[in-house]
Amino acid sequence: MRPLLGLVLITFRELWARKIVLGLFIVSSLVLLAVTFALNLDVVEGSLAGIRLFGQEAAPEDMGGEDAPPLTLSRVVVAVESVVAGVAYWIGILLALFASASLFPDLQSDGRVELLLSKPIGRLNVLFGHMLGVWSAIGILAVYLLGGVWVIMSLKTGVWNPRFLLSLLLVVGMFAVMYAAVMLMGVWTESTALGLIVSYGLIFISMVLAAADQIGPTLGPVGGPVFWGLYHGLPNFTEVTQIVSTLAKGEAVSSWYPFVSSLLFGGAAYAVTGYWFVRRDF
Amino acid sequence: MPALSVSSLSKTYRTGLLRRSTVRALDGISLAVEEGAIFGLLGPNGAGKTTLVKILLGLVRPSAGTARLFGRPAGTPAARHRIGFVPENHRFPGFFTATQTLHAYGRLADVPRAERNDRIPHLLDRLALDGRGDTKVETFSKGMLQRLGLAQALLNEPDLLFLDEPTGGVDPVGRRAIRDIVLELRDEGKTIFLNSHLLSEVEKVCTQIAILRDGTLVRRGRVEELTAVDRVYDLVATSVPDSLLNTSELPLTPGPDGSSAASGLDQYRVHADDRATLNAVVDRLRSAGVEIESITPLRQSLEDYFIDVVDSPT
Repeated sequence: MRPLLGLVLITFRELWARKIVLGLFIVSSLVLLAVTFALNLDVVEGSLAGIRLFGQEAAPEDMGGEDAPPLTLSRVVVAVESVVAGVAYWIGILLALFASASLFPDLQSDGRVELLLSKPIGRLNVLFGHMLGVWSAIGILAVYLLGGVWVIMSLKTGVWNPRFLLSLLLVVGMFAVMYAAVMLMGVWTESTALGLIVSYGLIFISMVLAAADQIGPTLGPVGGPVFWGLYHGLPNFTEVTQIVSTLAKGEAVSSWYPFVSSLLFGGAAYAVTGYWFVRRDF
Repeated sequence: MPALSVSSLSKTYRTGLLRRSTVRALDGISLAVEEGAIFGLLGPNGAGKTTLVKILLGLVRPSAGTARLFGRPAGTPAARHRIGFVPENHRFPGFFTATQTLHAYGRLADVPRAERNDRIPHLLDRLALDGRGDTKVETFSKGMLQRLGLAQALLNEPDLLFLDEPTGGVDPVGRRAIRDIVLELRDEGKTIFLNSHLLSEVEKVCTQIAILRDGTLVRRGRVEELTAVDRVYDLVATSVPDSLLNTSELPLTPGPDGSSAASGLDQYRVHADDRATLNAVVDRLRSAGVEIESITPLRQSLEDYFIDVVDSPT
């Protein structure tokens, strides 16, 4: 247990020593400060009486269109939390992948892997410790940003939206799924660049796959099944955005399938990575 | 029980996109190293030294044969509990200080915190890194990194220490310091497996060596036995009459260093095919009034021996 914990701590420290993660932490802190001090909500007897952003008055009635429903306190909370969750999901995961992509190839590099694998720790534990270290480092960032925004908004408004916290799990979960692709490429090629290209490529493909209902039927007897095979087999990163957004609004999710199928992809990628990592020579 | 043993060990690497090309790195190696020995593994580049060490550490899987450390299959975490390893070009995370590095790698070696707290200051002191405990590793010189690598390998108080080119790139002072530590470890009863190209270093510290060539074990034994030149002796004595030199009667020639003015003694070389001939030479010289100071088997340097072995036709 001690060697496993040691590897988790080394990986965690290594990721946090990177400037880009430090940058994410600083940006998250600025977001929390902005939500705390720049966004002022005047609440009178439980209703939203006024909004000030950076000191500028923004009357609630000005913030919606003519046909929009009246701007209530809960709608403002949902709007802020949705924006933060969406940004954390897309920008956060892309940057987190960028920051962490070199860790696994580095671990396998000459001079590092020998030190590690000569210790009394099994290879699967090395892999597991590395994964836990990366996940926990990114998880702490996500908890800091999303949990912080949730606590601040809830305390300021009295509107508690517990479903929003599930979006936090989705952000960390989808990062873990995409990191599986980075690790798979890492154990296969030891290339940081290829890991990033493949993971970003999967995100790009997921944008196309998100329109499966429109595109699938147009592809004919060969293209159609192939397209649907990709839809079910690859991570549905873009579609999970919808789940994150739904959770941020405090609404019930109608289908978890995109997230579940993504987790299955991640699980399979980690399993193959583990198989290769245990068998390969260093 | 030997500290390590390998039996009929072979390794074939498969390379290329379709893994159809093969490279035979080890071919049926068998050897054992007893506890307390300082064992030097020698061989030209590509001989299979690194592959052998990596199999023993579990970094590479053998194609055939077995490797064991203290009776346990090499490569298992249980076998690695009693070993320490200093890779040739090890890299520590640069953002750690020396003390943090030792704590981190000590944790990986399953050393409890209390023991780490006791041993780390002692090891830093022993390896002349005292006062550097709070210095970031990224600022360390090559020699300091080698000593820190040795410290992390010693943290779990291993019974068997693998050193891969421990003095490579280290200045003479640092090299001397590492050699002294290796000798101290030998005196403590540790078994040391040294993989090095620096034959002069190997000759100074190793009790046994093995030479690999093209993946096969071509020589192994004690250093002084292997480097002894067959049936040739250095003789130091008072002056031998010219009539006895270079004759068919006595296989005696003047030594390469000639006479030693300081001691008043001369050096000669005896080429005796067997023990009886050697004794006959001694008897003849004594009867001629020559006083013998010493007779020692001629030894060549390990470097000369190594080159003879690796250059000889297969």
